[in-house]
Amino acid sequence: MTQTPSGEVVVRLQGVGRRFGATPALAGVDLTIRQGERVAVLGPSGAGKSTLLALLNGSLEPSEGSLEILGSAPAGLSTRERRALQRRVGTISQGLDLVEQVRVLHNVNAGRLAEWGTPRALASLAWPRPDRRALDALTAVGLEWAVHERTERLSGGERQRVAIARLLIQRPELVLADEPVASLDPTRASEVLALLGQAVRRGTGLDADPDAGPVARPDGALVVTLHQPLLARQHCTRAIGLREGRLIFDAVVDDLPPAALDDLYARA
Amino acid sequence: MLLRRVAGALIILLPILWALRRALPGDSDVVNAGGVPLIGDLLAKALSPRLDGEFLRVVLEATGTTLAFAALGTAGALVIGLLGGLVLSDVAWSRRPPLPVRLVRGLLRGVLVAIRSVHELVWALLLVSVLGLDPLVAVIAIALPFGAQTAQVFGDTFDALPTRALRSLRDAGAPAVPAVVFALLPPAGPLMLSYSFYRFECAVRSTVLLGAVGVGGLGQELVVSLSSRNWDEVWTLIAAVIVLSALVDAWSGRLRTDMAVASCAEWSAGGTTSVPRRSHSRWARWSAVAVVPGLVVAWIASGVSLSGLTSERTRMLTVGLLEDLVPPALPSAGWQVVTGGVLDTLAMAVLAMSIAVLITVVVSPWAVAARRSGGPPAPLGARAVRWVVWAIARVVLLVLRSVPPTVWAVIALLALFPGVLPGALALGIYTGGVLGRLVAESWESVSPAPRDALVRTGVPGALATVAAVVPASAQQLVTYTLYRFEICVRETAVVGIVGAAGLGRLLADNLNFFRFPVVTTLLLASFAVSVAVELISRRLRHAIRA
Ligand SMILES: Nc1ncnc2c1ncn2[C@@H]1O[C@H](COP(=O)(O)OP(=O)(O)OP(=O)(O)O)[C@@H](O)[C@H]1O
Ligand SMILES: [Mg+2]
Repeated sequence: MTQTPSGEVVVRLQGVGRRFGATPALAGVDLTIRQGERVAVLGPSGAGKSTLLALLNGSLEPSEGSLEILGSAPAGLSTRERRALQRRVGTISQGLDLVEQVRVLHNVNAGRLAEWGTPRALASLAWPRPDRRALDALTAVGLEWAVHERTERLSGGERQRVAIARLLIQRPELVLADEPVASLDPTRASEVLALLGQAVRRGTGLDADPDAGPVARPDGALVVTLHQPLLARQHCTRAIGLREGRLIFDAVVDDLPPAALDDLYARA
Repeated sequence: MLLRRVAGALIILLPILWALRRALPGDSDVVNAGGVPLIGDLLAKALSPRLDGEFLRVVLEATGTTLAFAALGTAGALVIGLLGGLVLSDVAWSRRPPLPVRLVRGLLRGVLVAIRSVHELVWALLLVSVLGLDPLVAVIAIALPFGAQTAQVFGDTFDALPTRALRSLRDAGAPAVPAVVFALLPPAGPLMLSYSFYRFECAVRSTVLLGAVGVGGLGQELVVSLSSRNWDEVWTLIAAVIVLSALVDAWSGRLRTDMAVASCAEWSAGGTTSVPRRSHSRWARWSAVAVVPGLVVAWIASGVSLSGLTSERTRMLTVGLLEDLVPPALPSAGWQVVTGGVLDTLAMAVLAMSIAVLITVVVSPWAVAARRSGGPPAPLGARAVRWVVWAIARVVLLVLRSVPPTVWAVIALLALFPGVLPGALALGIYTGGVLGRLVAESWESVSPAPRDALVRTGVPGALATVAAVVPASAQQLVTYTLYRFEICVRETAVVGIVGAAGLGRLLADNLNFFRFPVVTTLLLASFAVSVAVELISRRLRHAIRA
């Protein structure tokens, strides 16, 4: 049994609900996630997992309840402030959101667009130069050889790792992954989840870069939706179960009783 | 089923009969007997075109001017198209845009439709009255309607792209401009380039047309030689126009097949579903390298300068023109003149389209490149004959569409009295060249597999073709005919301006006499007709696809 986490609060939801039209996709969710946590979101299809992640990255607003991400409530933010907040949140899906027609390097650098601002971003698209940080990010996912490859030439698994490199270079404090391993074989799936875990671990690899300062930041948090409870147990510290928009359980992975899972996926 | 067929046949036949009645009024002469010998003169000179050095230099220079105007006009259209396309497309806005933006967008959509409903030649006429015979007139007259069309196509191209990449960049806090550039331009790039070259092809043809208002280039030389009846010069110029057109077609066609598997036919019908090719050929690379210096040379050589736009005189004339244009007024002879013009325009378009379809049905089947079918290869002699027939058909279509409809109209007007008929003939011949090529290209993409399957089961080749290829081909013919009909309605302005009939003729006449309030009425009438036809044709196209 792991101890209760004591880091700073990364996200806090109180009575959060979200409805599309009349149908509620999420209702009455209370949830607090702290630094250092790796949270698996489990639940059957249509349970509201993707909706939860969209709320957490600020691209969707709750219809009720209060939501706080990295210390601010997205509801009250201006567009500029929202972008600044979203820059600290990294989102990744099945790796289908890469630009296929450009070099790998561009897709990695895409993680820095927010940091760079418009002029530098445009310059980098015209004259791509691989710098330390980009190479480090690619090395971390084992793709340093592919910097100048066209993204569409890579295999599905390699593309997924490019997306992770893009995430790494963004240095997010909160990583949200929506079914990142849905289409991968078991070994690959484990690899990807390990990399995602590494993306929120500080003081190593990428984060030890000069402009990050000598003092390593504390760990960030990872929220990942999964369909395999086994992977959740191996790679996460905590698991929550959603069903029909409601939080069914919330437990440290080791404490997860098998009955809870049976309940979660049982037909109504 | 039978009822539907009968209804379909009536929808096609009744307008044609009506248009014929309008074109051949019983009470007046149609053929101008005095002009027939002129046609004889014209034909007689075909064998001895003017080829002396002095004239050839004029032709060469005019060709350069035409190319330069076309290139600059296309470049302008692309700028308008890119910006307009981004504003119009839904993907470029990450979430639902705020109300003011939506209003501006709606307004822009309307303005773009209005801009492209006015033919480039009419734009040139209007611009000439403000800018005088400035080269800028040609460039703007091309850039405006082409830009409006391009904005539409680019907007649709962006919206057809997967949005996930852009969304994920925006969700990670990326600012709008680099996010759009990173995520939309690379996947849309090849298609946009391909479309740009298609536009350039069109622009060359349009620039030749614009010669009719006197802004320079091959078109103007043609009009001058035609009106002074120097037939030997006319032939040289027509040859130059055809060669230029053929070269540009070949070059741009080559590039388009290299970059994306989009045919002209697809682009002209407003979009493509094909996937861009991955590797870029040497052709594409060298052309890309040549574009920027080419534009600079075109800019310098053609003497286009933007100073005309900002000069005090232009400002005054523009304000004056705008004041003259409102409020619109009816012609002194009453509204019957306007409705008459509208009906003439429609009749001309209907007849022209019938002629074009006739040409297409006769010529296009031969202009489809021979494909290897399932059976054993045909004997060498048969293949050679097939190739010669193919080449002839292609050249015929090329000539029909390269000679501008204004020239066909002037020739027709030698032997026929002004009216619907010469306009319809001229427009029909030209449109036949365009439609024939589009349809032939689209027929090339009809899958030969069903036919081959039939042949393999022992069905004779011709029968297999009828059974397996004709239905698909007929549908394409109908789709492109309807689509081209929309354009044809707009292009009646062209033959009208050189004196045939319809709204274009009225426009040119009233502009000549500076009756600007009437011009506004006529422009509004053209706009209404063109939008109405577009809506009806879209409805029909949907009905056919369903
Ligand atoms: N943009 C939307 N508009 C309307 N309804 C939506 C929208 N997004 C989600 N929903 C609805 O909300 C509910 C929850 O959807 P969500 O995508 O969050 O489920 P999920 O748990 O991610 O499912 P899956 O495992 O299939 O991805 C579903 O009933 C869905 O139809
Ligand atoms: Mg989901």
